[in-house]
Amino acid sequence: MRTLVTLILLFTSSVPLAALEVPSLRSRVTDQADLLSPEQEAQLESKLAEFEQQESTQIAVLIIPSLEGEVLEDFSHRAASQWQLGQKGRDNGALLLVALQERRVRIEVGYGLEPKLTDALSRRIIDQEIVPRFQQGNFFEGIDAGITAMMGAVRGTYAPLSTRDKAPQFPSPLIPLFLFLLWSLFWSRRSRRSRSLRRRSGHLHAEDVWMMGGPRYPGSFGGGFRSGGGFSGGGGSFGGGGASGRW
Amino acid sequence: MKKGLLIGLGALVLLIIIFGLMLQGSYNELVRLDQETETRWAQVQNVYQRRADLVPNLVATVKGYAAHEREVLQEVTESRSRVGSVQLSPDMLNNPAAFQRFQEAQGALSTALSRLLLVVERYPELKANQNFLELQSQLEGTENRIAVERKRFNEAAQAYNTRVRQFPTNLIAGFFGFHPRLYFQAAPGTERAPTVDFSS
Repeated sequence: MRTLVTLILLFTSSVPLAALEVPSLRSRVTDQADLLSPEQEAQLESKLAEFEQQESTQIAVLIIPSLEGEVLEDFSHRAASQWQLGQKGRDNGALLLVALQERRVRIEVGYGLEPKLTDALSRRIIDQEIVPRFQQGNFFEGIDAGITAMMGAVRGTYAPLSTRDKAPQFPSPLIPLFLFLLWSLFWSRRSRRSRSLRRRSGHLHAEDVWMMGGPRYPGSFGGGFRSGGGFSGGGGSFGGGGASGRW
Repeated sequence: MKKGLLIGLGALVLLIIIFGLMLQGSYNELVRLDQETETRWAQVQNVYQRRADLVPNLVATVKGYAAHEREVLQEVTESRSRVGSVQLSPDMLNNPAAFQRFQEAQGALSTALSRLLLVVERYPELKANQNFLELQSQLEGTENRIAVERKRFNEAAQAYNTRVRQFPTNLIAGFFGFHPRLYFQAAPGTERAPTVDFSS
């Protein structure tokens, strides 16, 4: 379904599609500019992994050599959305993006973290923790201080998820089929009535929710996104929260 | 002979079932896309409202330091109140005049706000004010959210419109009264509110 919509968009979209490609997600620290040594990457990685264990919040770091003319905020949102950082339904993901050539840095905050990691706080983390260190050329220290501050802002907000990474699954393939048949029957009786009702009230009906998989994330049934590596997003969404800065 | 008739009848029933399923699929698809544009529109309005809610506080803070910038402050306040009076419900999303009024009102506020932020450059004390800095980053964040939600709404509306116009769904859409919707149209490069760089 989603691919279909994407395809339709591909061919009809009047908005020019961005050129800069989002790298596939393999680990929490993606360094495309070779800014960090492997040891430093591993250090950040384990820090972030431990944090995710404790808080279920996913924070990732992306370092790119250049934005290639794209708007920082657009690319950042695209990367965070594509990676689906954060747990589905909680949207507790965040991305720290560094664009080397443009000397820009951005913290992109998932919907669920916005109350804790506010725009103002993100901005302060950038201005006070990251930028001063970057200006001295201490990139690792800046990133480390940045994610430490981000974790500090989040800590205590989310209890660890016990059923983490387990998308609800149907026990048998027959059940969806059965549901579908039932629902088709249901639909044929109710279709006209429910549509006129919905038009008036704006409420979602059971069958719509079933179709959409929840009101806010239509068509994205988590899963489907499992790269062979050690890390993948949990299905979180992003609404453009966060802050940008430059050094 | 009888066997042939039975097979023919079976095939007919099967065809009818397949046709019915196709019809149902298309219809449900339309309902889903329709619903999604409405959800997205609600989000667009949320973020615009969020911006409007920031304005009084921002104006009050700026006034404390730059009270004689009356013209700009007044422009912001006026466009803010105009935005409040131009609401657009989802069922008006196929009314070009109303949609344009909405866009113009929000655009006027965007312009007024960026002028205000330019004026502020002349007041170093204000720029050092913690309260102002917080408001400013909230405003920037909200402008970014507006860009995101507008884009999402446009994507939803385009997916819906494509479906409504495509053959053979367009027949079903016509029959059940699904109409194409408007979406934000901006010249390239103007989709984002102009950002003001304070760091230099």
